Amino acid sequence: MSPERGEALVRKLALFGRVLRSAGAEVGPGRLQDAVRALEVVDLRSRDEVYWALRCTLVSHEKDLDAFDAAFAAFWERTAPLPDDEATPGLPTPSESGDEGGDPSADRTAPAQERTLLVSAADEEGGELGEQEPGGMAWSATERLRELDFAEYSPTELRVARGLMERVARAAPMRASRRLEVAHDGRRLDKRRTMRASMRTEGVPLARQWRRRRLVPRKLLFLIDVSGSMEPYARALTMFLQAAVRDGGKVEAFTFGTRLTHVTRELRGHDPDRALRSAARVVPDWAGGTRIGDNLKTLNDRWAPRGMTRGAVVVIASDGWERGGAERLRAEMIRLHRAAHTIVWVNPLAGDADYKPLAQGMSAALPHVDHFLPGHNLRSLEGLADVLEALPAQGRR
Amino acid sequence: MRERAYLADRGLATVLSVVLALRKPLLLEGEAGVGKTECAKALADVLGARLIRLQCYEGIDVAHALYDWNYARQMLYIRTLEAADAAAPDTVDDVFGRDFMLRRPLLDAIENDDPVPPVLLVDEIDRADDEFEAFLLELLSDFQVTIPEIGTIRAAERPLVILTSNRTRELHDALRRRCVYHWIGYPSVDREVAIVQARLPAVPERLALQAARFVAELRGLELAKSPGVAETLDWVQALASLDERELEPELVDATLGTVLKYHEDLERAREHGLDELVAAARRADAQ
Repeated sequence: MSPERGEALVRKLALFGRVLRSAGAEVGPGRLQDAVRALEVVDLRSRDEVYWALRCTLVSHEKDLDAFDAAFAAFWERTAPLPDDEATPGLPTPSESGDEGGDPSADRTAPAQERTLLVSAADEEGGELGEQEPGGMAWSATERLRELDFAEYSPTELRVARGLMERVARAAPMRASRRLEVAHDGRRLDKRRTMRASMRTEGVPLARQWRRRRLVPRKLLFLIDVSGSMEPYARALTMFLQAAVRDGGKVEAFTFGTRLTHVTRELRGHDPDRALRSAARVVPDWAGGTRIGDNLKTLNDRWAPRGMTRGAVVVIASDGWERGGAERLRAEMIRLHRAAHTIVWVNPLAGDADYKPLAQGMSAALPHVDHFLPGHNLRSLEGLADVLEALPAQGRR
Repeated sequence: MRERAYLADRGLATVLSVVLALRKPLLLEGEAGVGKTECAKALADVLGARLIRLQCYEGIDVAHALYDWNYARQMLYIRTLEAADAAAPDTVDDVFGRDFMLRRPLLDAIENDDPVPPVLLVDEIDRADDEFEAFLLELLSDFQVTIPEIGTIRAAERPLVILTSNRTRELHDALRRRCVYHWIGYPSVDREVAIVQARLPAVPERLALQAARFVAELRGLELAKSPGVAETLDWVQALASLDERELEPELVDATLGTVLKYHEDLERAREHGLDELVAAARRADAQ
């Protein structure tokens, strides 16, 4: 390769990297360097070899392959342009005032979605819970907030609740790891440390050292119903979800309505507004219908084979209004229950003292649920945290 | 590679040449049974290199992967010296010398005097936990380890590293960044036939073709676990061992357990109609 041509190629490659980044793939300078070196060993006249050389150096996730293919075609072959990022259908938002609720298409515009799903700083003006309130008042307001039904939250209250949720969201069920840790009351002999300690007693292993199995967080899956009937609660629950997955670890988050969406990656990160916004972009079925059975089937078919549900604690937040068949829901609950460690069902409607699980879907699912809890206010989410932390580390349920 | 009965498609072949040029680790992902591990074996064979395999599992740690001391042997040695009254001040150095070390795969790969650098296969890295992944990351960046009692050991020539993952867990981005990435999908029918014939030369071509079509049909159904190439090979071998020359519905029914490993999947395939699937596989063959 002549130096001029080489330089032109590097520049073009850098541009291609930018295209890929805008399509959502992570492409750093290190990767581009690899790509340049890879291009040196392949035949540049061969479209296939260039394609593979770039693909293996620039992509590192199976899920980015489609974006890469589209970008490759658009950039190097000048075919159809990339889909416009702005045109991605966003998360239509639960509108708190009636003025735009009637027209679903109005909700699909980007500014509207950002305004309503997120509780932005602008909402603070109208709220009754300003930050200037004295301590005593704030405490009682907090107490009131804990009992208040999520459906009755104002945007400002939701914002305050976020701080309270973070405490609850850190609850993590534990399980015994295969890894051992040093422990005086352990039951496994620590040969290495016993030998070391025996040096002090002239090679006679007088004091034995022990280890035991370490406790690590158990996999925790949250499935949040974002269908129309759950609309008043979905916003608060999504916020709870964000607090739960924020720091990474073993927590996975899904939303479901008419389809199951994996939102863990989108919800990660310490800026809740940004996280919720990017989640809003990928959830296509906000405030639509519910097919719980079909969604669980997707979970069992697509995610379970990769070990997502095996030994996990699965928390499903839904009112159990099923528009698919109850039979399918029952069958999929059985499959899920077989793989999972514990299934917890959080139902916002169960906060009502007179609640009976009459919804067809709910009564089909209930026999396969280990813990059935209300989920209509902060107090009940604290109850969820208590249940999660009390789960035993070893054995099933 | 073909000589080793491993058929790489153009993509994988290009990727392997890139890996050899860049001397970077290769991360292979794909559904179970598409030949990730086989790829490493075949590559080692072609290069004439030694294959060192580290099978990962939950809880794997340095003592299993890198090195451990042979405590029993150390004890015996010390006792013997004591009995002979021959313990000397440098006994401790002896005891923590290479003779008393158990070399595990990673150390083996780093400290080698092979004429050709070995191929290190880190199989199913997704099964190991985060801590081990972090340790591996460090090792892969400079190929040296420090053993307190002996000192730093550095690889004279870097081994070629191949990591495989079934995606039971997302790997850390830092690890991905260090690697060249390749996703292996299911092969096309023609390619699968070629693979079957390369692996099982005794099998009649007709049977191989029909079986490959049948399996491709199965992959189109919504199954909990779609059959991989490994399953196709098992199945064709099973059919061939029964002296079959063509797919017959009854025999397919009887041997389907080699292809589908879940009760629900078997049910589903039968619901869909095995006769129909077999007929489709045979009809396509007649054209």
